[in-house]
Amino acid sequence: MISFDFMYFQPSSITETIDMYNGVHEQGEKAMYISGGTEFITFARTNKVYADVIIDSKGIPECNVLEMRNDDVVIGAAVSLNKITNSNLFPFLGATVKQIADHTSRNKITIGGNINSELIYKESVLPLLLVDARVKVVKGTDVRVVSLKSLFDRKMKLSPGELLLQIIIDSSYIELPYISLKRTKFSKVGYPVVSVAAILKENQLRVAFSGVCDYPFRSDEIEAILNDSTIPIVDRIDKVLGNLPSSIVDDLQGSREYRSFVLKNVLLDVMEEMEMGE
Amino acid sequence: MANKSWSTVGKPEQRIDAVEKSTGKVRYIGDYSAPGLMHAKLVKSTQAHAKIISIDTTEAWKMPGVRAIITGKMFPFHIGPILADRPPLAFEKVRYYGEPVAIIVADHEHQAKHATEKVKVVYEPLPIVNSVQQAFLKDAPLVHDNAEQYTKIISDVYPKASTNIGSHIKIRKGDFDTAWANSEETITATYSFNLSDHVAMETRSTRVEINPAGKVIVHSCSQSPFTIKKVLNQFFNVEVGDILVHIPMVGGAFGGKGTVQLEPLAYLASKAVGGKVVKLEFDREEDMTTAPCRIGFDATVQLGVTKEGKLVAGKYTYLLDSGAYSDQAAGITRAAALDCTGPYNIPNVWCDSYCMYTNHPFATSFRGYGHPELTFAVERTMDQLAEKLQMDPLQLRMINGIKPGHTTPTQTVLTANNIGDLEKCIHRAKELIKWDEGQKVQSGKNKVRTKGISTFWKTSTTATNAQAGAIIIFEADGSVNLNCAAIELGQGTKTILGQILAEKLGMDMNKVHVTMEVNTQYDPHQWRTVASSSTFLAGKAVVFAADHAIAQLKKTAAVVLQCSPDDLEVGGGRVYLKPDPTFGVDIKDISLGYTYPSGHSIEGQIVGIGKHIQRHLTPMDQQTGFGKPGPWWSVGVQAIEIELDTRDFTYSILKGVTVLDGGTIINPMTATQQMRGGMYMGLSYATSEKFVFDEQGIVQNSDLRGYPMLRYGEQPTEYLVDFIESPAIDGPFGARGIGEYGVIGAPACLANSLSIAADVELNELPLTPESIWQKKKEGTK
Repeated sequence: MISFDFMYFQPSSITETIDMYNGVHEQGEKAMYISGGTEFITFARTNKVYADVIIDSKGIPECNVLEMRNDDVVIGAAVSLNKITNSNLFPFLGATVKQIADHTSRNKITIGGNINSELIYKESVLPLLLVDARVKVVKGTDVRVVSLKSLFDRKMKLSPGELLLQIIIDSSYIELPYISLKRTKFSKVGYPVVSVAAILKENQLRVAFSGVCDYPFRSDEIEAILNDSTIPIVDRIDKVLGNLPSSIVDDLQGSREYRSFVLKNVLLDVMEEMEMGE
Repeated sequence: MANKSWSTVGKPEQRIDAVEKSTGKVRYIGDYSAPGLMHAKLVKSTQAHAKIISIDTTEAWKMPGVRAIITGKMFPFHIGPILADRPPLAFEKVRYYGEPVAIIVADHEHQAKHATEKVKVVYEPLPIVNSVQQAFLKDAPLVHDNAEQYTKIISDVYPKASTNIGSHIKIRKGDFDTAWANSEETITATYSFNLSDHVAMETRSTRVEINPAGKVIVHSCSQSPFTIKKVLNQFFNVEVGDILVHIPMVGGAFGGKGTVQLEPLAYLASKAVGGKVVKLEFDREEDMTTAPCRIGFDATVQLGVTKEGKLVAGKYTYLLDSGAYSDQAAGITRAAALDCTGPYNIPNVWCDSYCMYTNHPFATSFRGYGHPELTFAVERTMDQLAEKLQMDPLQLRMINGIKPGHTTPTQTVLTANNIGDLEKCIHRAKELIKWDEGQKVQSGKNKVRTKGISTFWKTSTTATNAQAGAIIIFEADGSVNLNCAAIELGQGTKTILGQILAEKLGMDMNKVHVTMEVNTQYDPHQWRTVASSSTFLAGKAVVFAADHAIAQLKKTAAVVLQCSPDDLEVGGGRVYLKPDPTFGVDIKDISLGYTYPSGHSIEGQIVGIGKHIQRHLTPMDQQTGFGKPGPWWSVGVQAIEIELDTRDFTYSILKGVTVLDGGTIINPMTATQQMRGGMYMGLSYATSEKFVFDEQGIVQNSDLRGYPMLRYGEQPTEYLVDFIESPAIDGPFGARGIGEYGVIGAPACLANSLSIAADVELNELPLTPESIWQKKKEGTK
């Protein structure tokens, strides 16, 4: 049960959505975009999030697209994780998001919601960072398509009122070899101790991480180390551990020391799976 | 003894609640809503141990819809099932994180909840007792200052002044010290079993009203309707006849709904608003920490043997983490002591079982009632002992298995009727797990497959006067209604009782209507639906009720058929002449009395009543534990095969085996499900479940985001269940209780298999890849 009062709207166009957000904002109240609503509901009932108005983006046609357009895969921000997996349009993303939460929750959780999650994991962003995905965002009347990389630094850098509409992926990435490995505490349903996604493009490994630091990331430095075939793999992996962008998470899912043990093993698996051996 | 002449007992009848449940039409307590219904929400302690300096409700009173605010000062008394040590609402001080501090009653649930956020409680922190070891120290802070002064509700509970000991149960059998000194080989090991939660799908919920005539009407999802009456009578001075308790179908309980916690709170809430109906429904977080959880358990086990592996001495020190209040933990302390050895014949036994107060959420009964915990300690020790003796761990168990003629730790003499056949169970489990193919095999690069085994036993420690009753009444079509106060909480008890009645009357199951709801006003008294006791107690009551009805049916039919009742048999919806079954009368023609063509009527309706009370049970002697605590012991064996990755310590559970001797199995399908569900539950807390506390005793994972458990689909790939059916003469159709048993050996056999696989002794739960990695690291230092 959510104890505070709030208003809920589901507008049916981008313009209406933006106008509504701005309107609420101008009245000095707090508006929030939602799509699946799973985080809002679960956090609001324990007072970890508050809004006077929530604006559901599921009514916006652009946010519900899931198709090939010319040479691009276009995924609306309000598309559920299960729909993405079941569509098989982009198997790498499908496999990664299938590891998030449980089946019932994935019927509700959307890709836009997961990318913008309050939690530190945001695992659906991992493949997207690796395939140079672009995102379509809107603010006011300004719709723009930019690289995800330019907007994502630890989390989505959206300005107040800015809304993620779509994710666009160049279909040339679809056939690339990929791997997505998630290690949990024990049950398959759980937050990652370590989650790693990787693809091989032009014999170069690209890797992104979640659960290691308190944000998901891809690092040029780490990729350079892993691709340096002059060094034995175990040494490369040790070097990666010394070059993480910040300290390893230490929490209920796993201690810092354990996470680093798991990360080493997962990287060994990734290297083996992707045939990156010496 | 598969008696092939039975037509319903022993058959996999479909559960009578299957259709309602699978179509989602069951209405649970929380589903109820009506105009005028008021809602209560709790203000809960944010501290684990603190003085309450003040409670400021000014702002809360200003919130819309608020009708009443109740604090502990308004009912400054202690209640409890064994030792009355728990105030329904904390007063003077709080003893655990999540403890109820105040109740707010409002028109709507969200209003009540919103108002709770406005109550300002000022605490003065007190030193925290954050573990059983700490609680046991001489100079430990006291959770209760004068525990010895609390009222004893049940005689064998022994709180010790100026300590955190809520109870101390002793077993002294034979001469441990001499036997230990003469043992040719010994082992001592310690264990720890974490606090966890029941996590029943339905969170606890109740509604209470006090009607204008003064009747207190309670609707609740409880395993203990008659205890609710007892508590409201004992501690709130309501005439017992004025308390009416209704229990609909319960959405899972696992022992957690045996405690009477919400009903007194909702009673106080209703009283504060002039008796209006007030609903109190716990959120998941409240259900996990405010409501009672599962005990924590620390154990030291010492075993002494001969060179040949014959056990001669056993010493057991059990420290139970009862949390802030003793509730059922005091009973579990006793249950763990009286079965302390596991199903082994040990002539010299010494056990000290302590119920320890800490500043953790308080614990209550949980499926197994201390036995998964003690079995974990005992069975891990047996494996380590076998290794020391260089003996097959199964062989060691076989040599020492308890049998008729032996005595239990409380010196109850075992007979072929009151204990199952452990040896047969071991043999069958050995076949099913393919023990002879090897306990440890390399199965791939960095992969090893191992098998672990655990025996187990348990008696049903009911009150010595525990009982049940049943009433059967007939419809005009000859079908029959069964009313009894056994509660359906997913275990299938109503189906089992229906089968017993159908078998007795020789009727089809579809002619037997079992009332799902329990109503204390028309259902005969039943102790409680706990302790795997319903098939036995209520089942026997149904047998007697059926016999009572059969006698009446025969009496009426004898008049109609002009013969002696002794000439008659009941079956197939008729009463007929034994030597000539074609000559008889339909039950429908006599069930409401027989009417002659003249209009004259005789005998009237058939009403069958039956009852059963435990026989010859006794409390335990305070100094030695001597006594007869339970009517029978069901025994069994479980085994697990796992595959461990020896590089990263991830593992999967490949195969689970449960073999149980529960006497006659009334319904093999529901019994198999009970074993599977039980083992799965045991594996969930052995692999995953654990409350995590910070240094202030605050629960860090009081929701299902942070509290890990196995999910649907994570059961062992192969899941074998079999039964040995050594009949219990006392039981209905030879049945003993089986409800809790599937859970008992699961943690032990998982730990045994993983210890072999990882080549390190794993004596603490849960067993996550991280905890195994940690142990390996410590072991190789």
